[in-house]
Amino acid sequence: MIYSDAIMDYAKLRKYRGKIENAHRIEEGKNVSCGDEITLYLVFDGDRVAEVKFEGQGCAISQASTNVMIEVVTGKTKEEVIEIAKNAENMVLGREFEAGLLGPVLLFQEVGKYPMRVKCFLLPWKTLQIALER
Amino acid sequence: MPLRVSFDDFPTLGKKVNGKRLVYLDNAATTLKPKPVLEKMVDFYIGSYSNVHRAVHTLASRATVAYEEARMKVAKFLNADPSEVIFTSGATMGINLVVNSLLRSGILREGDVVLLSQAEHHANLVPWIRLSKFHGFGIAYIEVNEKGVLTEEAILRGKEYKPKIVSVTGHSNVTGQVIPLEFVREVFEDAILVVDGAQLVPHKRLDVKDLGLDFLVFSGHKMLGPTGVGVLYGRKDLLEVMEPFLYGGEMIDKVSFEEVTFNEIPYKFEAGTQNIAGVVGLGYALDYLEALGFDSLEEHVRDLTEYLIEELSKLEFVELYGPLDHSHVSIVSFNVEGIHPHDVAHVLDQEFGVAVRSGHHCAQPLVRALARGTKLSNFPNSTVRASVYLYNTKEDVDVMVEGLKKLKGWFG
Repeated sequence: MIYSDAIMDYAKLRKYRGKIENAHRIEEGKNVSCGDEITLYLVFDGDRVAEVKFEGQGCAISQASTNVMIEVVTGKTKEEVIEIAKNAENMVLGREFEAGLLGPVLLFQEVGKYPMRVKCFLLPWKTLQIALER
Repeated sequence: MPLRVSFDDFPTLGKKVNGKRLVYLDNAATTLKPKPVLEKMVDFYIGSYSNVHRAVHTLASRATVAYEEARMKVAKFLNADPSEVIFTSGATMGINLVVNSLLRSGILREGDVVLLSQAEHHANLVPWIRLSKFHGFGIAYIEVNEKGVLTEEAILRGKEYKPKIVSVTGHSNVTGQVIPLEFVREVFEDAILVVDGAQLVPHKRLDVKDLGLDFLVFSGHKMLGPTGVGVLYGRKDLLEVMEPFLYGGEMIDKVSFEEVTFNEIPYKFEAGTQNIAGVVGLGYALDYLEALGFDSLEEHVRDLTEYLIEELSKLEFVELYGPLDHSHVSIVSFNVEGIHPHDVAHVLDQEFGVAVRSGHHCAQPLVRALARGTKLSNFPNSTVRASVYLYNTKEDVDVMVEGLKKLKGWFG
């Protein structure tokens, strides 16, 4: 079962929910096949990701994944975040990845066994990547 | 007469999924295939397969006969003339053919109005919307109410738009509502009536002449047939004056380096090598359904739908959509308070072997309309959808309902 207690706790976390007024970047992400939508609000401090919040809705996997992602990337440089995002994607797609970079993202390793749910996990990561590369 | 289904004909149902008996409730997406239909297709491929309508050799002749026999079966099924039966790749292609050919023939022009309903799935929305951008015809909608239902009052209001064409589903793939087509025909007496029969035809024998339909599209794979084959019925006098949609081989009469004249109907709408075995297989699927009897099938599905609605209504944490009355057939969409449809569908599959659909069901505007009537604290812009067909039983419904109770307990 991918719905571990830890993932369910992250799915219900309220800490990172909401809007940031005056965010430096706002990025909307969407899974067209299922209708899940999130909006990321990003605040930078120089080259670092200082604060992230999100609005939107979706399944437990996409919500938990978003919360974990925000926890992991806050305080990191853009370059570090892009590296983490690549490894998170590699992990869920069953490719080689560096586990040391991922921390609680490793909770989602089993999602890779369910190809139809991979996109739920990746929604926040893809949205963040687009926000940073823009 | 009660429906007599041989479960041996559906070996998929005997397979275990995640260690559980498979409960297949995703029939609105596609149906399982009966083994006898598949076996006959194998026999056809081995013993009678070749390209059709071309060569004079024995295999070509057998294949052509089988292909045209399938056309005759479909024609008889619909009470149409065989020349009015065009094989397509499915309902989506059927709609695309109709829109494009009507435009090219000048039957649909700039300034005309096409009336659709808000209950359409994308196949009967996107072709009209996109081509209206290039050709300047207008689109108006019959509105759904807060349950996603098309009422007779709403259908009547569509008259104000004076539509040249009315294109509606016969059976919503989200709400399960069977649309009163007789009423639609009566209200829009002079309009060209296009019916998307993707969900309706697998459940009901239609008489296109009696209903006064001008076009009807449907797909084979939702009625026990193979994927990649479908049917467009078109009224003869319209088809005869319509420009083809796809150009190529087979659909021509004379070709020079400058000019082309077309083959007669239905061949002028079947360019290139067709899905020969698919068409033949659709014919076999139709034989299978006819042998069971459409009346018995319809009754079985209606009884099961009623039971499904009844059992789901007992769960106070479930919100149901659609008419929930006698017009509600086969397809039941719902949500579980506080749990996203994907999570519901995932757990039903993994823990209970139940296959249901979750998402917007290729009908985003309709699912958004359901948000108007919801009592959920957070409507997820999608639903869970269970859909029953001839091989489903009350036990299948019970397994799903028990699963829902347990997962509500787990997720809280």
